[in-house]
Amino acid sequence: MRLAVKPAMVRPSMVSQVRLMSGGGESDAEFDSRYVAYFDRSDIDGWEIRKGMADLCAMDMVPEPVIVASALRACRRVNDYSLTTRILEIIKVKCADKEAEFWPYIMQELKPTLDELGILTPAELGYDQPELALPNPYEIH
Amino acid sequence: MAGLICKNRVLLSRSAPLFSQLSARAYGGGDAHHSGLPLPQTKVDIGQREVVGFGGNGEATYIDSVMAPFPAIRFKEDAGEIMALREKEKGDWKKLTKEEKKVLYRASFCQTLAEVEAPTGEWKSVLGLTLVGISIGVWGYLWMKAFVYGKVPDTITNEEKQKAQIDRMIAMRVNPIEGLTSNYDYEKGQWKK
Repeated sequence: MRLAVKPAMVRPSMVSQVRLMSGGGESDAEFDSRYVAYFDRSDIDGWEIRKGMADLCAMDMVPEPVIVASALRACRRVNDYSLTTRILEIIKVKCADKEAEFWPYIMQELKPTLDELGILTPAELGYDQPELALPNPYEIH
Repeated sequence: MAGLICKNRVLLSRSAPLFSQLSARAYGGGDAHHSGLPLPQTKVDIGQREVVGFGGNGEATYIDSVMAPFPAIRFKEDAGEIMALREKEKGDWKKLTKEEKKVLYRASFCQTLAEVEAPTGEWKSVLGLTLVGISIGVWGYLWMKAFVYGKVPDTITNEEKQKAQIDRMIAMRVNPIEGLTSNYDYEKGQWKK
């Protein structure tokens, strides 16, 4: 199924020069390739994947599927399956109110990687809805 | 600084002398020298759980949060069934069943993000308790009226006295533009229809 409209970027397109702190303005493509290179390092470890993803998700944007794909491949290299599920969950959360527009596109772009690595989406695991309830520790009397 | 968890591969020997000074002050000198991994700021016993990341602020604690979705430690210790799954995890993930994948997830994480964000229904108790509070206030007023406030003065309850006051207000032309006497027709000597 092809999407009728494929967004050019999952970030708001009005933003072309972002991240003033990186000294001189970086284009979106440079930003993407920097993160893809970070996750593609063969000697990356779980700590670095988590830190990179946490920093990425702290930014006011939805990461491009290429970055997510390289993060998922990095999880494969460190043999951490549950991290892939968490990454997919947080990307979906990051889409926020544009989820209906972005998420199918992201899933479409990630499908080859998911199939290649044998990763189930959170929805396939049943984690798109709450499964277990946790009592609020402050309300236990 | 002392509270940060660093990657295992980073050599800490450079900061160790400074760090052991800090830890000597903070912890009474008991842990002046140890393996080289920095201590978290707050002393939390995490058992055998594996430290896997930076977490929200560098401390080795488990917190589920959408703002910091990758906790610093796994949720459960690697023991028993989980150890066997970790071995299987090193192989092809297509060979893991859905249940095994779910067990692995719950070993690393307490709640899914859907569960973290799920509505709690707390608004119902907030609304209910607020309305109970308002009701207590209304009952309080009724009690005050019944037992505390004195009688309303005669100048308000007496019909004739009220009429006399209104006649006086008409004579004084009180609020003649938009108020009381704007509704009185002075030429005909009666209220406007």
